Amino acid sequence: MSSIQTTAARARQSPGAQPTLLAIGFAVLIAISAASVWLAARSNDDSDMVVHTLEVQNRLSLILLNLRRAESAQRGFGITNQLSYLTEYRESAGNVPGVLESARSAVSDNPVQVDRLNQVAPLVAEKLEEMQRVLDLFEKGSATEAQQAIKAGAGRNLMEAIRQQILVMLNSERELLDIRRADSTRTNAYLMTATLIGSAIIVIIGAISLYLVQRTLRQREEARRAVEFSNDNLEKTIAERTADLRLANEEIQRFAYIVSHDLRSPLVNVMGFTSEIETIKKDTFEQLAALRKDDVEATKKDVEMSRDFDESLEFIKSSIGKMDRLINSILKLSREGTRTFHPEYVSMDGLVKSITDNVAHQAAEKDIEIIVESLPPLKSDRLALEQIFSNLVDNALKYTQPGRAGRIRVGGRNSQTQVIYEVEDNGRGIAAEDHDRIFDLFRRAGQQDQRGEGIGLAHVRALVRRLGGYMTLRSELGEGSTFIITLPRHMQETEGKAA
Amino acid sequence: MSEHVLIVMVEDDEGHARLIEKNIRRAGVSNEIRGFDNGTKAVEFLFGQDGSALINAGKPMLIMLDLNLPDMSGVDILRRVKENEHLKRTPVVVLTTTDDEREIKRCYDLGANVYITKPVNYESFANAIRQLGLFFSVIQVPAPA
Repeated sequence: MSSIQTTAARARQSPGAQPTLLAIGFAVLIAISAASVWLAARSNDDSDMVVHTLEVQNRLSLILLNLRRAESAQRGFGITNQLSYLTEYRESAGNVPGVLESARSAVSDNPVQVDRLNQVAPLVAEKLEEMQRVLDLFEKGSATEAQQAIKAGAGRNLMEAIRQQILVMLNSERELLDIRRADSTRTNAYLMTATLIGSAIIVIIGAISLYLVQRTLRQREEARRAVEFSNDNLEKTIAERTADLRLANEEIQRFAYIVSHDLRSPLVNVMGFTSEIETIKKDTFEQLAALRKDDVEATKKDVEMSRDFDESLEFIKSSIGKMDRLINSILKLSREGTRTFHPEYVSMDGLVKSITDNVAHQAAEKDIEIIVESLPPLKSDRLALEQIFSNLVDNALKYTQPGRAGRIRVGGRNSQTQVIYEVEDNGRGIAAEDHDRIFDLFRRAGQQDQRGEGIGLAHVRALVRRLGGYMTLRSELGEGSTFIITLPRHMQETEGKAA
Repeated sequence: MSEHVLIVMVEDDEGHARLIEKNIRRAGVSNEIRGFDNGTKAVEFLFGQDGSALINAGKPMLIMLDLNLPDMSGVDILRRVKENEHLKRTPVVVLTTTDDEREIKRCYDLGANVYITKPVNYESFANAIRQLGLFFSVIQVPAPA
């Protein structure tokens, strides 16, 4: 048994680890999800920043590009005097303030770049002014003056200063871009790592869970087998013991049967030859009487002797009669013990009524009132019930208390799975010390003023037991007795065979 | 019953045998009574050495049988008698202490002609045997073939 208990205990304990594992698994999943969302958001931010940097670079380049386009168109106009160059110059130069402004707004988040752009802005304005001045000279036709101005190199120097400044800015932006790219890569790597670690943890937890579940299942299976095994054994043991009991019981029945038969045989002889002696005695004394004739003294002695003879013979015969009745009782009990019961639905109202109807005359003669209350029906052996209740009613009628109007009550009620019947009387009752004795075979209690062999209650109790019930007694000497019979409401077919 | 009919009494209890004989005689039956106090001797007498009962073929007999014998069951003797070609018409009276209904039924099933339970009450016992004696005096036993 101990191994079964420990196995069962283990089976009960181990599921505790699984909810914990499950909780851990969920926590890890949530952490991974949160990290992923956060890292994804960061990665998104990083990309935005990269795009922004590229945009800034683009706008800064546009400043240079427009300035160069404007310069080249101005030179083109100076050489060819074509109006299309003029248009191009105006367009490009016109673009510059807008582009500058858009670059300013793009770098507004970076004070260093804003400062640098602020340094570029006057140079750009100066350059635009310088180009306009040279162009004006070209328009007025003073090409030489314009050439002089260009030769002076102020425009070129300005352009170079702007280019240098913007290159610084572009480089700075490129550095920013590199940093941001590196950030983005790192973030992505973190994301990947977190996902991988989380997945690994979940896989491990899953494996542990699987192992635990399998272990639990295995333990359960073991426990189930152990229980099954012990059940099988138990049933086998019960079956064996029941068979033993049945055999022992059959043995007793057979024994009682054989004993009662074999006891009867010599009894027939004792009785037979006693009767033969009686006949011989009668003949002898008749012959003796004929011989005595008038011898009064001798005749008187003969008569006395004859009376002694008769007395002895009577004792022998009454004893044999009693022994015969006892043997018959044993025989009857042993026969009852081997009878197979047939459970059927019995209306106890009807059954008890027919018993009380049979004794109604006897009850009226002895001035005894019989009250039969409503009795619950049951499924049991009808014949056995008849014997039980007629015995109890007979007893109640027999053992009355002199000087008191008799009253017998038969009642009953249902309990959970049983029915309880009571046969109550106000008769002479039974002393407490006799409560057990009266159920024994050939034992009787109180004044022996009634006929009987002391078999009735022994028989009744044996029947009640075989019906699967039990019987108790509540009684006080001189006050009355109540016999309480508890029976199963549905007697099983198998009951009553082994008992 | 004709004088030549032999009454075979198989009864292990001498007292019972004596009481039965006494009361049969009181009924006025004077046929020869052969008593056997065990089954073996009775079987030897009824069926002979070879067990065929040829020696008793056509012999008018009446068998009184107790069931509780020390060496065998009277029921077996009854069965053998009723199964035997030469003895099957011989009337068998089962006279025993057993009043078990199954036993009674079994005996009649096997072909017993009469079944009587020995009562302990001697008046009844003597009365039963005397009536059996009367029965013997009117019974017809098959004549020799």
